[in-house]
Formats: sequence, C-alpha cells, structure tokens
Amino acid sequence: MFLRQERGAEMGTARIVFDRWDGRYARRMAGVRSSAVRDLFAAASRPDMISFAGGMPDVARVPAEAAAMAASEAVLHEGAAALQYGSSEGRPALRVTIAELMAEIGVRLGADDIIVTAGAQQGLDLLAKVFIDPGDVVVTEGPTYVGALQAFSAYEPRIECVPMDEGGMRVDALEETLTRLGPRGAKFIYTIPNFQNPAGVTLLPERRRRLLELARAYDIPVIEDDPYGRLRFDGGHVKPLRALDEDVIYLGTFSKIFAPGLRLGWMTAPHPILAKVLLAKQAADLCGSAFAQVTAERYFAGTRWRRVLQGLNRAYSGRRDAMLSALHEHFPAEVRWTRPEGGFFVWVELPNFLDAGTLLAEAVEHGVTFVPGSAFFPDGRGRNCMRLAFCYAEPEAIEEGIRRLAEVIEDRLGLYRAFIAAGALPEAQEGAA
Amino acid sequence: MREKIAVLMGGRSLERDVSLSSGKRVAEALETAGYRVLPLDVTPALVETLRAERPDACYIALHGKYGEDGTIQELLEFLGIPYTGPGVTASALAWDKPVAKRLFVDAGIPTPRWITLTADAFKEMGAATALDLVPGAVGGFPVVVKPSKQGSALGLTRVDTAEELAEALLSALSYGDAAIIEKWIEGTELAVSVLDGIEGPQVLPPVEIVAKSGLFDYDAMYTAGQTDYYVPARLGDDTTATVRRYAQEVHELLGCRDVSRADMVVGSDGGVWVLECNTSPGMTETSLLPMAAAACGMTFQDVVERVLAGALKRRGERG
Repeated sequence: MFLRQERGAEMGTARIVFDRWDGRYARRMAGVRSSAVRDLFAAASRPDMISFAGGMPDVARVPAEAAAMAASEAVLHEGAAALQYGSSEGRPALRVTIAELMAEIGVRLGADDIIVTAGAQQGLDLLAKVFIDPGDVVVTEGPTYVGALQAFSAYEPRIECVPMDEGGMRVDALEETLTRLGPRGAKFIYTIPNFQNPAGVTLLPERRRRLLELARAYDIPVIEDDPYGRLRFDGGHVKPLRALDEDVIYLGTFSKIFAPGLRLGWMTAPHPILAKVLLAKQAADLCGSAFAQVTAERYFAGTRWRRVLQGLNRAYSGRRDAMLSALHEHFPAEVRWTRPEGGFFVWVELPNFLDAGTLLAEAVEHGVTFVPGSAFFPDGRGRNCMRLAFCYAEPEAIEEGIRRLAEVIEDRLGLYRAFIAAGALPEAQEGAA
Repeated sequence: MREKIAVLMGGRSLERDVSLSSGKRVAEALETAGYRVLPLDVTPALVETLRAERPDACYIALHGKYGEDGTIQELLEFLGIPYTGPGVTASALAWDKPVAKRLFVDAGIPTPRWITLTADAFKEMGAATALDLVPGAVGGFPVVVKPSKQGSALGLTRVDTAEELAEALLSALSYGDAAIIEKWIEGTELAVSVLDGIEGPQVLPPVEIVAKSGLFDYDAMYTAGQTDYYVPARLGDDTTATVRRYAQEVHELLGCRDVSRADMVVGSDGGVWVLECNTSPGMTETSLLPMAAAACGMTFQDVVERVLAGALKRRGERG
C-alpha cells in the first residue's frame, strides 16, 4: 500500500509518499506482501549490528580476478554472442557444463534436459505459473523458503505445510496430508532436501525414497530445490531425489557455487513440463542473459572453481561451528536448535509463549538481527521460532551476536521460569526440529 | 488554500499497519476538503521535519504505544503545534487500563472486577504461586487476560479454566510489563464513540459487535467477514440511554477532547459495563468510529474535519 523507499529517496525527512495507484492492482498481489516488521527494522541500523538475517553467500571469497577474467573472456572471445539475444533454453555450452555438474551428484542428463533460468528463483515462479490455478493446493515443508512462498502466493494457491524434524520432512505427516487431499489432490510437492532453508535439516535417504513412493502413489509432481547441496561440511553425500526418480523437477543454482550476482540457475524436468516452462519463460524474459551465461561457462571451464568452493565451504563450516558452539555456551536450556551438516541456516525454537517478532525489536536494540519464524509459514505459525544465518558473519562476530541474542532471550525467560517454579506451567516443552 | 495539516501515522508500534491505513484515509479526506496535507511517518526525522515544515496542526492517526499514551502529545505540546484528540493527561490515563478502571469505579461507572499483576511480581515475588486466588478475586471464570497497556486487543486471551491462566499471562506479558485479569462479562459488545462539537460532546450511535469466533480479537478486528456489526446496537431505549450516558461520562471523566471511543458490554442481565476508553480510535475502512458516524448521517470527511476543528480552534486560542 505504501512506498517504503521514502526513507532512501528522501533521507532526513519523515514524509510518507502514498502509492497513488493503490486500489488498481490485481487481486493476486494482495496475498503477496513483505513483512512490515522486516521493513521497519531494515531501516533501523547501528554500526556494530551483527546480522543473522540474510542468507547471503560470502562472494568476497570468490577471487575478483577469476571472475573478471571470465567476464572479459566472455566479451573478447565470444564477442557478439555474449552481447546478443540467446536461445530461451540457454546456451548449449553452459547446459553441457550443468550436465557435468549434475553428473557429479549422481544425475545423468543431456544438455537438452536442462533449461537455464535467472536463478532458481525464476524456476519457482515459472513452475508456479504453469501449474497453479487460484485455489489449487500445493504442498511444502513447514517452515519453507520465503521466496518460494512469495513466488507461489502470486498465483493464489492454498499452501499445505508438512512438519519437519531433524530428518527433514516427516513423510508420515506427508502421507496423512496426501491421504486427505486424495489422488492428484495437490499440484506439486515442493521440498528443499539438503540443508533446508530455513530449518537447516537434511531429508534422510529412506525418507527420500518414501516421499517419491507417495508422490507416485498419489500422482503428484515433486519439485526438488537444491541450492545448498554442494555446501556440505560433514557427513556423506545424499543422492538427490532426481537421481532416484526421473520425473522429479530439479532446480539448481550458480548463486552458491559461483555468485548470485550473475542470476543464473537451472531446471531439469520431464520434457513436456520443460516445454510449458519454456513458453512461460519466453513471456517472462525471452531469454536469460547471454553475457552472464558465457561468463559462467568460462569460470567453470577450469578447475579453480573447485578450490574456491572448497575455500567457501571451509569458511562456512567454521562459521557453522562458531554458531553451534556459541549457542551451546550462551543459549538457555529451554531453547532448541537444529545442527546443520551444511548450507547457511540454523533454526531455533523458543518456548511456545515467546514471540520472535516482538523479540526482534529488542534484539535490534541489542545490536543483533534475525528473521522471525512466522515469515517461513504461510499461515502465521512459527511465531516462537527464528532463523539464524551463519553464512555471512565472521566467527568472532557470530559468537558476540549469539551472546547478545542470548541476553535478550534470557531476560524474557525469567518470567517463564517463575511460572514453571510455581508449578503453574507444565515443565516439558513439546517440539520438533 | 486552507491550513497545512501534518497527518502523523505509522510509527514503530505493533499497530503500524492499522495506523498507516487510518492515516492514508484521513490524509485523503483532508486533501479533498482543501487542506494542504503533509503525511508523516514517526521516524527519528519527525521533529526535524515538523520544524522545517511548520504545519498549522497535526492530525494524530497513530495507534498504540507513543501515539496513544501521551508521548507524541507531550512532544507536540513542547514544539507548540496543536494536535487532534485528547491531551497528554487524558491520553496517559486512558492508555493505562488499570488506572482508567480505578477512575471509573471512583466515579460510579461500572467496570468488571479485575486484578493487575506485573511481570516483576511474577519474577521477583513468586506471584505465580497465588494464581489459585484469581477466581475468588474477580468472581470466577471465564476471565479475560490482556496487557495493561495495549490497543487493538493484541495479547488478549479469554480463559475458561485455571490451567489456561499461566499461558495467557505469559502471552499478555510479552506485550508489556503488566497484565490485567478481568471478569468476562457474557453479553453484547459495544463501541460507543464521542465527538466534540460546538454544543459540547456528541455521543454517536452505539455499534454492536458480534465476532463470529466469539472473541473480538486482533484477527476479528481487521479481517473482513470475521465480524458482524449492528448500528445502532440492538438495545432497548433504557439501555441505550445508559450506554450513551456512560460514554459521555467517561469522555469527560478522563478529560478527553475532540474524540474518544468507549468499549462496553451489556450483560445478559441488562447491566452495562465499561471496559476501556480509546483516545485515538481507528479510522480504517472497517473501523468503528466511522461506522457510528455514518449511522447518523456523517461522512468520513465530516468526522475528520470535526476532529480537526478542535485542534484548529486551540491554535486560534493560542494566538
């Protein structure tokens, strides 16, 4: 309803600029809104603020000259092709590169099984566009990726969330949901099996098989979103769903293994689905950026990217360790959190009565931010949860940030403990993940 | 061109979104009426902007903390800018529900029995061991547990059994330092607005609220179709007269001016109870004050201009 940029556009004034076009937008946009709380606190910042909010890759660790060389080679060697429109499905050479990357994680593909998208995010939007009519049901994990909720919501589905635990989506709960919905009762099942955003958990191998069995039995397509799969710090590689079932729609991205600034991702799916997605993509952008695609081809032509990725994983792994040990040291016993084997995120569950949204206001005043859990549910659940991103801050800052956050939580818990001590509340806290 | 009016809205309160909706409608109405309108968010740049723009008056479309508790009123007094609605003292009294209820009792205005408990009483003094005394103190279950200072019914829970009490208190205390536990009165919920005019306070037709969930909480307030409204309320003549009299008494007792809205319940025995008084009533599309005004032939713009007239009159008096 309002333009929030007023702060940026006119620094130093409290003037509000109304949206003069309010009331003329399509109904579908009513369901898509940014969180007021986040807008609010995005503006309030102090210099020593420690952010656990954004899931931003540490691109400073991608050597600038390697990226620069790839980009300059793109123009010098590919010339006109890098500056011209390209094909909608993406450059053949890049799709060959992607097929090689996929082979490394156990998925055998040809270049024509792949289309290049503007980040995996575009894949989500295009899939929503080709599958969802208003009122259709889609099944996701609960909590799930905010960007997926945003992409889906624009097409007005009813979103059914399946709960998770340390082993990822609870397939028993999925079965209950699918039984209730019936055969073809949902347009698709959306899952982030590796180091899930926001929960940080990984779907167990036997659950992967069960999920696929259920999807087959109820005749419902599966979308596997795998941005973090190559950011594993410990434990063994788990085969993607797509390696177990050729009908799975798989979304990959260069954002975490190279740089999100290129806006490059990919999709593989059964050919009829790819054909529909391609039509939708042509309407969206004709074709992706040829320049970015050639740059990626060049960057992945050598072997240096592997060392860079190893370096990134070492850094992320150290930050994950710093966060887990700080949580262990500083957080009160009543709080629970996940222990990710990779990716970017730890999911924290506070005692039921604590509202992470109101806690955020205090946390910001203490110089630390996070994303409240309710952002990751379509229905206001997750109020007592928070997502902590460990990917961006250095280990010392992570330790300090967790200490500040613990202070805020500890303060709130005093009241809770008083009720427990008086026997006015049951001692055990129910909770998963 | 008429006077320059700053419409204050938004802010950091939990009712930011509601305030932005109120503020936008108020700004549009004032613009239509020919005023020069300056819509302002409550940010650290507010004072600087007010000093640079020098509006003739501020229309306060803020709800909740800072907008309704006397904070912004005190600031505008200091800056010498006239503003709409009750002054510092009336705002602070109405905002603090236990204080307002105490004043109601002293003035002979019925208000449901209640107790107030602070977070410190639980944390430092073991008040949680005395929760068994609650039913005796307020006259039995059900009760309503709510923050002692908070608008828009955030943190409000109806409690039917002793087991639910602790969790409801924790919820209420997550919004502030104190919670009140108030006897639940089963009956008809009412909102009764008062607008000042040339001939003194005018009580608008009472609005009857029927929440489909049985509880007029935050969701019921702001979600379309969750609540049915009847204007005027379906009350007998005597009850209507009592309700209107209490609304005016509360308005005057707390020292309100320009506008106020009292929330009441008519019990199944016909008794009228005053719950609280709001000094910056909502002005959104589903708000109760505009609804009441419409029932006696006033447009939204009439209401806004009427409220503003008070501030402009005070500007004139100030010279």
